[in-house]
Amino acid sequence: MKKETERIRISRRHFIKTTGIACAALVMGGSLPKLIKPAYGEKSKENTSAAQQIEGENIQEVLKRYFGDRKISNSHVTLKTPIIAENGAVVPITVSSDLPMSQDNYVKSIYVFVEGNLKPYTARIDLSPANGKAEVKMRIKMRKTSNVRVVVETNKGKLYGAINPVKVTIGGCGG
Amino acid sequence: MAKKIGKIKIRVPRNIKKGQVIPVKALITHPMETGFRKDKKTGKKIPAYYINDVNVYYGDELITHMEWTIAVSANPFMTFYLKADKAAPLRIVWKDNKGGVYEKTLQITPK
Repeated sequence: MKKETERIRISRRHFIKTTGIACAALVMGGSLPKLIKPAYGEKSKENTSAAQQIEGENIQEVLKRYFGDRKISNSHVTLKTPIIAENGAVVPITVSSDLPMSQDNYVKSIYVFVEGNLKPYTARIDLSPANGKAEVKMRIKMRKTSNVRVVVETNKGKLYGAINPVKVTIGGCGG
Repeated sequence: MAKKIGKIKIRVPRNIKKGQVIPVKALITHPMETGFRKDKKTGKKIPAYYINDVNVYYGDELITHMEWTIAVSANPFMTFYLKADKAAPLRIVWKDNKGGVYEKTLQITPK
């Protein structure tokens, strides 16, 4: 009997030891990417700056190209986005507007821009009074954490906008 | 590609009253290749292959048109609304940049 308990005690000690090592390994594993990251970080920074030089797609320039100098007022549009997108390749967004959808006064177009993408212009949706409601849901791709911007144009040429930041994480941890 | 490109699903509510504003959900299977991605085996860039044009017809009338770019997710899913004021077919047509045309028609019969 004595031998039995001894064996148990040893195995318990052994268990604690191994779990301790495992925990340490996990912690180390967690911190390891941080040690490696700077090298990657520099690389990606170079990449983005190079990309920006090639593309030169600044959101203000893009907006100017599509809307000229017309003023965009931040009202009448609701943009629903996730606060944190776990997967940048599938970010669900909902654009809705409380503007009327009658025969002579309706939302003509909805523009979607993602500021962090190489080409911010994502989509344009042309609606008509037959839609009955100015609301669209879709899924978009986001390259990195940035703002999503929507602009709504009415048939009378008035512009309304909304802007939402979306955090894009890779691997599911909010970093 | 395991999945078939151009497989379409459209959902509308089962019971529709006349004049009701109903949601229409549509899903199409499509890779939506950006043209930036590289093939891991060959190292060559995968050419862009995406849907750039969506048209929705209700009866003969074009009610919604969408212009998409590469930044729309793969297997695009969309929801839009429709005022069901007549019994007419709802036809949705997707077109991609390689000339592919995918369409599906659904009869809307409000009670």
